Amino acid sequence: MTELFTGAEKHLKSRHRAEIRFRWLGRLAILFSLGFLAIMLFSITMLGKGALSRAEIALPIDLSAEVIDPSDLAGASYKKMVRNSLFAAFPEVKERGERRRLLGIVSADAEYELKRQIADTPAMLGGEQMLWFTASDDIDLYEKGEVDINLPQELRRLNDLELGWLQTLEANGQIRNVFNAAFFTSGDSREPELAGILSALVGSILSLTVCFALSFPLGIMAAIFLEEFAKKGRWSDFIEVNINNLAAVPSIVFGLLGLSIFLGTFGLPRSSPLVGGMVLALMTLPTIIIASRAALRSVPRSIREAALGMGATKVQSTFHHVMPLALPGMLTGAIVGMARALGETAPLLMIGMVAFIVDVPKGFTDAATSLPVQVFLWADSPERAFLEKTSAAILVLLGLLIVMNIAAIVLRKKFERRF
Amino acid sequence: MSKNPIITARDVNVFYGAKQALNGINLDVPRNKVTSLIGPSGCGKSTFLRSINRMNDLVDICRVEGEIKIEGKNIYDKDVDVVSLRAHVGMVFQKPNPFPKSIFENVIYGPKIHGMVKSKSDAEEIVEQSLRRAGLWKEVADRLQEPGTSLSGGQQQRLCIARAIAVKPSIVLMDEPASALDPIATAVIEELIDELREKYTIIIVTHSMQQAARVSQRTAFFHMGDLVEAGATKELFTSPQDERTQNYISGRIG
Repeated sequence: MTELFTGAEKHLKSRHRAEIRFRWLGRLAILFSLGFLAIMLFSITMLGKGALSRAEIALPIDLSAEVIDPSDLAGASYKKMVRNSLFAAFPEVKERGERRRLLGIVSADAEYELKRQIADTPAMLGGEQMLWFTASDDIDLYEKGEVDINLPQELRRLNDLELGWLQTLEANGQIRNVFNAAFFTSGDSREPELAGILSALVGSILSLTVCFALSFPLGIMAAIFLEEFAKKGRWSDFIEVNINNLAAVPSIVFGLLGLSIFLGTFGLPRSSPLVGGMVLALMTLPTIIIASRAALRSVPRSIREAALGMGATKVQSTFHHVMPLALPGMLTGAIVGMARALGETAPLLMIGMVAFIVDVPKGFTDAATSLPVQVFLWADSPERAFLEKTSAAILVLLGLLIVMNIAAIVLRKKFERRF
Repeated sequence: MSKNPIITARDVNVFYGAKQALNGINLDVPRNKVTSLIGPSGCGKSTFLRSINRMNDLVDICRVEGEIKIEGKNIYDKDVDVVSLRAHVGMVFQKPNPFPKSIFENVIYGPKIHGMVKSKSDAEEIVEQSLRRAGLWKEVADRLQEPGTSLSGGQQQRLCIARAIAVKPSIVLMDEPASALDPIATAVIEELIDELREKYTIIIVTHSMQQAARVSQRTAFFHMGDLVEAGATKELFTSPQDERTQNYISGRIG
């Protein structure tokens, strides 16, 4: 050997090269996945941000006593009041089809909006009032610049006549864009401009509550029994194999099980978060058991020996010493399971939670739907305006997931103890 | 054999599955003395130690035959409750294993579960007394609420000793208690063992013959599952009867 430590040895150069190559491959892989994550978030946000605002149209409404009797608000024809206002604004529109189009520029909900506004402030009765109404979805899209006016009329969602009306309204300052609070405070609707996420959000939260309340205690009890108390043998092997298999069962099968057992045999209410949560709990249980067993196994033997050597019973050793140390791992497993349950649609399909639910569920037995189901339903709707709703619903779903994960991290930190 | 032994083991066979780990052990352990169990790795000394407080019960495939009597009562009788047995036979392990809780909680845990604590002052008294006996009081008196795991290795082991004696056992089993410690911490532990002898019967497993010679009055030599020879430590080390003992203490095997 001529020189010491200079790397002249055989193969050394290529060994170093292999290391550098591997590092770059790793960096590339991370960059790649982060890049796609960023693209996904960006595109969904861009698509979904439209759902946060909506167009409103101001119409002068005649509220004189001849039209609406202040002592008999329920007897008034609000629909007619909106109609008359629109016809008065554009008196040149006479033809039937055109008139229908004119009425269509405000949402189908306009008459109820009028009724609500009058009920809220009866003081405005007596004269003519300028009131704001939600615009229909096509107008809303136009206001957001989603309608290409250069297209020939037949291919456009709005024809020249409607564009003319809009330009008049805009010129008079009768169109504005406002924050779409209704998206977060109302349930689903056939009209995109009225559809909200709240019923699905509440449905998801209720289902997950049931799911967690059932699967977490059951899961950790099963895991503790199998890991700490059960004798290792043919039976424990058999159970272990079956739990691992259950974790891999397609989720729709759990839906079928729920359909036949919970709905068929027990007669529990269809489409309810109670049954949805129970089905999701069945699906989550194996995940929680497997994660909890792994967490228990990672607690050093010496802790158990210390406790048992003191004369602690097995239950005392487990609950005083082993479980507190395993709890962070158990929680992580539970959150992973819950996150999967949150994104699940297939089992809910079988128990009737894939449904058009307008009312926000008030309890565990009310008919409800869930966020991913809502995403699916909206994505499937023909109206172009549901596209932004779909993206916004995905953002809400992601937001809920992030909240859950942060909760898991906080809980983990709180319970984590060094040993 | 000594007079009035506290532990008498007769024909103790221990099996792990089909494999026999101990072959017919007969041993008397004298009261208030330190008895050391020595022998090469895998000779069965730890297995024997763990039979005395039935820690072997934790191993599913382990089976114990024969009888081990403590104060005349066979601990493998059907009516023996391991929980109360382990309260009388404390144990200190090879690697210091304090609970990941405060020093105070570490010591008071045993007395608490055995219902020996009536009041807060009781608890404080037990903790102070146990830590004093374990020679740790002066070092930790002002930080009892700190985690036991924050102590040094030697302090942790003395904390484990304090924890074991807090439940007032009559016998303390020590499984290579100093093997994970540096020489200075080892010396402190050995000194402590010598002091504890007054109140407790101590059985210590060690693979350091020097340690056995320093701390124990009696020594038992195990080899391949057999108890080869037992006797007064001095005699065993100066004039061993068996050739295997001779070979071991002179460093030819093990």
